[in-house]
Amino acid sequence: MTTQTTAQPQPGATTDDSPRGTGFGGLLRAEWTKFRSVRGWVIGMLLAVVLMVFIGVFAAANSSIGCQINGGPPKTGKACVPAIPHGPGGEVVSDSFSFVHQPLTGNGSITARVTSMTGEHADLTGRPVQVGNGPGMVPGLAPWSKAGIIIKQGTRPGSAYAAMMVTGLNGVRMQYDYTQDTPGMPGKVSAARPRWLRLTRSGDTITGYDSADGVHWTRVGTARLSGLPATVRIGMFATSPGDVVTQNSFGGSSNQGGPSQATGVFDHVSLTPAVAGGTWAGTAIGGGGPAGAGPGGGPSGTPFTRAGGTFTVTGSGDIAPVTPGPGSGYPTVTVEQSLAGAFLGLIAIVVVAAMFFTAEYRRGLIRTTLAATPRRGAVLAAKAVVIGAVAFVTGLIAAVISVAVGVPKEENQGQVLLTVPALTEARVIVGTAAVLAVAAVFAIALGAVLRRSAAAITVAVVTVVLPFLLAGLNIVPSGVGAWLLRLTPTAGLAIQQSIPRYPQVTSVLSPVRGYYPLSPYAGFAVLCLWAAAALGLAFVLFRRRDA
Amino acid sequence: MSTAARTQPAATLTTGVRGGTRLGYALQAEWTKLRTVSGPAWLLLGAAALTIAVSTAAVGATRCPHGMICPVDTTKLSLTGVQFGQAVVAILAVLVISNEYSTGMIRVTLAAMPGRHAVLAAKAILVAALVLAAGAVAVFGSVLAGHLILPGHGFTSARGFHPVWLSYGPTLRAASGSVLYLALIALLSLGVAVVVRDSAVAIGTVLALLYLFPILLAFIGNAHWQHRLERWTPTVAGLTIQDTTGLRSLAITPWAGLGVLALWAAGALLAGGLAFRLRDA
Amino acid sequence: MHATIEVTGLRKRFGPTLALDGMSFTVQPGQVTGFVGPNGAGKSTTMRVILGLDAPDEGQALVNGQTYGSLRHPMRVIGSLLDAGALQPSRSARNHLLWLARSQGLKAERVNEVIAQAGLQGVARRRAGGYSLGMRQRLGIAGAMLGNPAAIMLDEPFNGMDPEGIVWMRGFLRGLAAEGRAVLVSSHLMSELQDTADHLVVVGRGRVIADTTVASLLAAASGDRVTLRTSAQPEATTVLENAGATVAATGTDAMTISGLPAERVVALLSGRAVPFSEVSAHRATLEQAYMELTRDAVEFRPAGFDAAEAEEVGR
Repeated sequence: MTTQTTAQPQPGATTDDSPRGTGFGGLLRAEWTKFRSVRGWVIGMLLAVVLMVFIGVFAAANSSIGCQINGGPPKTGKACVPAIPHGPGGEVVSDSFSFVHQPLTGNGSITARVTSMTGEHADLTGRPVQVGNGPGMVPGLAPWSKAGIIIKQGTRPGSAYAAMMVTGLNGVRMQYDYTQDTPGMPGKVSAARPRWLRLTRSGDTITGYDSADGVHWTRVGTARLSGLPATVRIGMFATSPGDVVTQNSFGGSSNQGGPSQATGVFDHVSLTPAVAGGTWAGTAIGGGGPAGAGPGGGPSGTPFTRAGGTFTVTGSGDIAPVTPGPGSGYPTVTVEQSLAGAFLGLIAIVVVAAMFFTAEYRRGLIRTTLAATPRRGAVLAAKAVVIGAVAFVTGLIAAVISVAVGVPKEENQGQVLLTVPALTEARVIVGTAAVLAVAAVFAIALGAVLRRSAAAITVAVVTVVLPFLLAGLNIVPSGVGAWLLRLTPTAGLAIQQSIPRYPQVTSVLSPVRGYYPLSPYAGFAVLCLWAAAALGLAFVLFRRRDA
Repeated sequence: MSTAARTQPAATLTTGVRGGTRLGYALQAEWTKLRTVSGPAWLLLGAAALTIAVSTAAVGATRCPHGMICPVDTTKLSLTGVQFGQAVVAILAVLVISNEYSTGMIRVTLAAMPGRHAVLAAKAILVAALVLAAGAVAVFGSVLAGHLILPGHGFTSARGFHPVWLSYGPTLRAASGSVLYLALIALLSLGVAVVVRDSAVAIGTVLALLYLFPILLAFIGNAHWQHRLERWTPTVAGLTIQDTTGLRSLAITPWAGLGVLALWAAGALLAGGLAFRLRDA
Repeated sequence: MHATIEVTGLRKRFGPTLALDGMSFTVQPGQVTGFVGPNGAGKSTTMRVILGLDAPDEGQALVNGQTYGSLRHPMRVIGSLLDAGALQPSRSARNHLLWLARSQGLKAERVNEVIAQAGLQGVARRRAGGYSLGMRQRLGIAGAMLGNPAAIMLDEPFNGMDPEGIVWMRGFLRGLAAEGRAVLVSSHLMSELQDTADHLVVVGRGRVIADTTVASLLAAASGDRVTLRTSAQPEATTVLENAGATVAATGTDAMTISGLPAERVVALLSGRAVPFSEVSAHRATLEQAYMELTRDAVEFRPAGFDAAEAEEVGR
């Protein structure tokens, strides 16, 4: 026997490379070494990236839009995208309505009485939809049919405005710059209960008032439209968004939609200062004339008629932000639509995360781990930090590639990207990575609690992915689905919602359309709570149980 | 072990020997394995209970008020729980094989029964039979819930809703097809698990197979691809067996849809059988 | 009926590692064959190939002249225990044996018999997951004996056994051989087999180094070296070298002689009146013989350690 005593350190002496001993940092390095040295786990993470990008880009593979403009040659893709108005805030907006207007220079105001608003919309009971006052249209107002007075920067769609209006079902409102909405008097308008509306401009500030009798006025709200030119357009308008009825049923929701139009009747119209000889011009802004008046409801229709002091204005369209879903007139796409692959990434990451812990129990490695580091809480924390960080980086890489590849692909096919501020886009991308990271922590905590990979993975996938499926595909009634999206870990995916939900736009509440019942950060907080609760339980059990 | 008690080697065991074929022995052995641990029984019970509970909740939460048009497929609604039950069934099927790999018992199994195809066939037959039995209970319970609850919620025959009962042909087809659907999901999962071996990866793969395609279908806007997914993915095509209304607008007919799932299951089992046969244990 | 295990020219490669490199040997009935070699020598792989669990790249393994896969009831021909821990922890020992019995077309009574033989009556209905390693070994052996096979193959059966268990195991293996069964027992420690095995198959680096009886292995390892103590080294050297021996001094009064048996050395020295204090024939232990054989075949030799110290902890 040859014993090389020279190579043998004295007992008790350490060959520690850090003089202060192994703290939490050393533990992190140990767990990171454990993670990266199992080839299957590293492959699992790479797979998560590949699958996320593939699904994201695949989901972006819409049919190319085809069109033929004015009898010209057939075109496809981006060439078919109409000129999309963007509001003052940069968001994509609908800006089409019938406008009866005069110029106004400097300060001034408009007052008008609305005595009636009527409308008609497509019959959605299953009969074929036909535009125009023929068969297929039935009388009725959409909830957000609008008629009222407006001060607008100009006739260019997308320009700044402030308006007072009566609506189909939502009473009097003051709205400005597409996204802002303030309620005024409630109730429907009728000849017996007319509504008086007033807008006053003072510099950049426009104030809206309403009144039941034209004597007692209530201030509804104030809009500050910065950069408003000296001369603006002022007048009356009417418009009505396309009617959408969503039928939620098993296996999916069906959306039926069709055009609608609204007609407002105004009298007691007065302008201050009164413009001598001022004439009212009628313009169908953004093709928002009466439905069916021209081919496809085009601008050739007459937006208004005048009988003495009574104006009758008829229009269709909307003055509102464009939201995803069937309500808008365009094929729209959102940033988060390229991140649909997050689900597959989520499953892959959850599997790896759960195994990262349960594998310790499989062959008794946990005893070696705890012999090396008896502080169990620190071991669990180190594992959670390592897997969370790995999942975050994995998710971030995948999300960035998905958006960078998927979004331009959609746009090239003729989809209208609902643009959002850069910060929002960053929140969507980083948030997706964060959801994967927190889900990984959730899964590793489940692994520590359940100690069996099969059980941990099942619970994690069922709680994170299944609620989305049930709510998103309307497998459960929508009320139940909304609660699932509030209470289960799936709520975290709300962080992907890039377009806010506007109360003044009828939209389909569905996560598939990018709408969650909770706000992005509240939803993410719900997921974090779940992960924290699971981690807390894991912490208690891991310390109490025998290894 | 006392030498006195030991019998002489070989050919002396005729007293304790039973007859049968190779598959027969494998079936007996695998059946003994299944019934001597509590996991499979609980999972089967869980699958049935979950299916019935979710179906009951779904029909309980759905109403058709007067004067409204309700585009509801009452039979499909009554079978909602199958969407959940299939996850439990898939886990059962995965664990039947992956548990043996995680404990190393697969070597004992194959030392006892070197005919690998017989072992896999026995597992498949038993899993399918057990799932058929549990699935029949689950589906019958679900249909019963729909039958009892839905007429009270406005889904009456007077308003044109067909009865949710087995005497109505399409409902009988949907119900019996759902039982078969669950069995096919189990076989698909078993096949995947044989290929993958590790229980964690197998369960992840199977759950992704079950739930990813419906989600993807919701996201993609390309009608061409939607049609393809509806026709060729295991769960979307397979669940068309539950449709009893709007059959004309389906991308694939109910039985053909179930056939697509059967193809997936057969493909998975084939791949599993091949891997099982060729790989070292 | 007697059974043999025949292994012919097995070759198997796992990636870059050549696990088996022409492994060939035969296990005869009526004796305990020790299957020894250092870690990674290919013992377990060979056993897995015999059981049809691993497919060899070349060569074949036959049990009673048949491949394992073609046996209708393999456990009635050859019983085996590769890994005592390979069982479903939640299943009771009795039920574990029961499914094995069903797979061989055996009736449930046979299960009770082997439970009694293995001394597991008291615990047979408990979860096997709660068993100690020794109890699992007994359960595994009960499983191997279930089909009352003519051949038995055990991989490292002494692992995890207490001294009492080792004594029991030795007696058990001797008893099996005495009944005419072919017994193949692997070990990486020759000492475990010293008083058990009749025949030894020593392997290293995937091939057989020695296939011999214990007696002849010992003789071969001892050679015919003789240790001599004498105060008259030069005279003794002259005398013995003239008689044809090779002589090497190992100390001031000690020397090693090879080429002459001890009796001849005594006769020669006595005849020439060379004084000596001790003449002894060198007796190698089995362990030394084994070390000698496998010196070149050890796969993992840590720096500063002899192969004898490299002890397998379990694979």
